[in-house]
Amino acid sequence: MSSENKNSKLMFAVPLIIFLLLCVFLFKGLFSNPRELQTGRIGQEMPAFNLPDLMEHNKSWSNKDLLGKVYLINVWGTWCPTCLVELPYLTKLRERGVEIIGLYLEQGYDPDFDGEFNIQALRDEVSQMLARTGNPYQYNIFDLNRSLAFDLGVSGAPETFLVNSKGVILLHHTGDLNERTWRAKFAPKFTQLKEVKL
Amino acid sequence: MKYFLFILFMGFTTAVFAVEEHHTFANEKQAELFKQLSLELRCPKCQNQNIADSNAVVAKDLRDKVIELVKLNKSKDFIVDYMIDRYGYFVHYKPPVTASTLVLWVVPILFVLFGFGSVVFRQKKSAIQQKWSDKDEAQLTKLITKYQDNSVEEKQELGQ
Repeated sequence: MSSENKNSKLMFAVPLIIFLLLCVFLFKGLFSNPRELQTGRIGQEMPAFNLPDLMEHNKSWSNKDLLGKVYLINVWGTWCPTCLVELPYLTKLRERGVEIIGLYLEQGYDPDFDGEFNIQALRDEVSQMLARTGNPYQYNIFDLNRSLAFDLGVSGAPETFLVNSKGVILLHHTGDLNERTWRAKFAPKFTQLKEVKL
Repeated sequence: MKYFLFILFMGFTTAVFAVEEHHTFANEKQAELFKQLSLELRCPKCQNQNIADSNAVVAKDLRDKVIELVKLNKSKDFIVDYMIDRYGYFVHYKPPVTASTLVLWVVPILFVLFGFGSVVFRQKKSAIQQKWSDKDEAQLTKLITKYQDNSVEEKQELGQ
């Protein structure tokens, strides 16, 4: 009789435990962000590139120009509404001493349909937008064919990377950067690298 | 007859294909590899679409890159690793077996084992409970005779 009792307790407990585990799993799922993506490049060096400057004619940037400083790479475009929201905050970060390099992501251009790209029209558009929101960028790299974006594992805009002075990618954030995400994700690593309080 | 033909032709369907992009590969093997990969690689922008299915800019970029690499005669593993290097494990629909993904393989097996285990366990338990003693046998005979007698009486009652 006692062994039967024990068995029925077991038969009751096992499904209950499975149910509770499932509850914990699903509850955690409520707060996970399916859009949170991580590039496969974390912990690796910046991919090699050689791309033109967005605003200045005949000027170009390569991965070697970026060595020796801690900086953010911010992927953006004038076509991206979330970037418009993010730009004033990034400008504030620049005022606090964070170096931000823009990676301008062009998404509409298709060489098969559009012919030659009208860079002047884009420059005017960019100047207008940055005049409204403030300019957070040291400079902008122009990635017309999305080749660097592809090598970084960028799926859209805005996205932000934190890179250290050795050129190693430490963080990748998809979506806008604001006070909350900066404090939670970037500030701890950044202050550690710069050894300054922000 | 008209209706018969109508119903008969309803049994046939003609396949209609809408092709947006057309790629030419050097051989059948490359074309097959591209098809396989575009179904297996996942669009990083959209939640549950492969890159063949999605029209997102990044999905098109991935397709173009796959085409480029396939035409360079790169192997399937090379191309998949190339994408994982950039977009993480998210980009491939077949996750690798690691400590954190092991649960995907282990849980279904445990489920089946647990199910079989409980069936066997319950059967054994009920087999033990159904012991048949002489006392049960005597009880059975008693009950049979009792109800047989009853039924005889009932028949007699009906016969009256």
